[in-house]
Amino acid sequence: MTNYVPTIGIEVHVEVKSKSKLFSNSANTYGMATNTDVNVIDLGYPGTLPTINKEIIKQGIRAAHILNCNITHKMHFDRKNYFYPDNPKNYQITQNRTPIGTNGYVEIEVDGIKKKIEIEEIHIEEDTCKSAHRGNVSLLDFNRAGVPLIEIVTKPCINNSKEATSYLTKLKELLFYANISDCKMEEGSMRCDANVSISKDNTLGVKTEIKNISSIHNVGLAILEEINRQKEILESGNTIKEETRRFDDKQNKTILMRVKETGNDYRYFIEPDIPYLELTDEFITDALKTLPLLPDELREKYKKIGLTPLQIEKIIANRALNSYFLGLLEYKTNYTIAINLLLSDIASYLNKHNKLITDTNLTYDKLVTVINSLESGELSNKNIKEIIPSLMETDKTLEQLKDEFNIKNITDNSFIKDIITKVIENNPDSVNDYKNGHDRAIKYLMGQVMKETKGSVNPKIANDLLIDTLNK
Amino acid sequence: MDKLSREEVLHVAHLARLSLTDEEIEKFRVQLKVLMNDIDKIKEVKDYDDEEMYTPVDTNARLREDVVGEMLNAKDAIANAPCKNGNFIEVPVMINE
Repeated sequence: MTNYVPTIGIEVHVEVKSKSKLFSNSANTYGMATNTDVNVIDLGYPGTLPTINKEIIKQGIRAAHILNCNITHKMHFDRKNYFYPDNPKNYQITQNRTPIGTNGYVEIEVDGIKKKIEIEEIHIEEDTCKSAHRGNVSLLDFNRAGVPLIEIVTKPCINNSKEATSYLTKLKELLFYANISDCKMEEGSMRCDANVSISKDNTLGVKTEIKNISSIHNVGLAILEEINRQKEILESGNTIKEETRRFDDKQNKTILMRVKETGNDYRYFIEPDIPYLELTDEFITDALKTLPLLPDELREKYKKIGLTPLQIEKIIANRALNSYFLGLLEYKTNYTIAINLLLSDIASYLNKHNKLITDTNLTYDKLVTVINSLESGELSNKNIKEIIPSLMETDKTLEQLKDEFNIKNITDNSFIKDIITKVIENNPDSVNDYKNGHDRAIKYLMGQVMKETKGSVNPKIANDLLIDTLNK
Repeated sequence: MDKLSREEVLHVAHLARLSLTDEEIEKFRVQLKVLMNDIDKIKEVKDYDDEEMYTPVDTNARLREDVVGEMLNAKDAIANAPCKNGNFIEVPVMINE
């Protein structure tokens, strides 16, 4: 087969987080009973007027900023006209001519090579109602109608499926961290469409659009399959038709969908019910004030305090825990112990009980005393496993918990040394074994030390002292 | 006489989800062309693209605070729908039309 160069553009819709909807004050939420999260504006009743939710404009500004876009200062909304039962107004309010952000980029890295995926524009629009198809009828639930969306459109600058999935992973991470969207593809709060064409030269081939792909992984598969399908058509001497397709992950192929309106058929015109919106610099600065540190900034910060790449990725993957850890950095303590504790015992406690760390009683002061005790050896990792539930669920201090769990880790070296001397005297055979190079003998001797002390000495300290004494 | 093609009329009719008789198609080939000529005349106006022409008010859009208000119950929400199914509004199937 001849070599074809694929050209791919991606459109992503994300549901934006806010309390109320974009143009009405019904709740912007998920999972309410059918047709209860609606008002007359969402239902498109005649005589109703849309009003812009301030928070969504701020979210749009934040999205434009983190995607390195120019922020549009003077904008308006447009009507995109089409007849379809998912939208009883017969138009969707969107931004066609003055999108809130233009000309941005997201930097990705594929196989060690960095590339900027260029963003054409991002705009704000309202979602339509949700439809379920049953035989020869469709059932409509308007709870989703009017939910705020941001659409992010790349330039046709993506050349393969790896770049596409890498871009989407990065985009999702950014929007999630900036608290703009939950980006839950399984709940539909992030949806992807891919435009794919192939060509042998520098001209662009005829593109097809694959709609509503259900996961980032499937975007990669759908693009691969669509490239193959187009290659086969061209190689057999036929031409590609511009059409909308969907990806069926069970059959692993793209399937032709109904042909819908495109381009001019939408007859865009300016939404006359909403005046122009001009953003002041002050308003923009104010919107950006609440942006948290973003993943790449966090990676830099964590590298500086000595976290390993694995620890960095693990903590970033857990936004709630990450935000807690960021707070801990205000305290002077051992961050290596802290991150190990957070990612192991604390994380498994939280997972097991399906809790966020902010729902527990683990204050920073309490955690710092725990970290310090671990560092000094007053507390062992085994102790942590015992006290974790009480540490998280009660407001008892570490001292109180040590009493309650009878934790008396002896860090007094002279006491431990006495025990070690006694163990060495009582076990001359094992000592000889050790001296003859049988390293396993040390385990037996350590076991005797722990038995003598009823497990109340810090094992690491005892182990070090034992080896020290034996080597003398 | 200057008129639209049959296909153009059918395309516009499809966008409005209207079905037309042959007679109507012929009628609209003429009428829609007259309308389009008038619109072309409007487009000749020099300030057609002037943003001031689009909005009747020159005040900045007022932004609403992000606060949740009252919502309808399902019964009221679907009260005016011609066809219901439980608390859903029912319409002819939207796919494979």
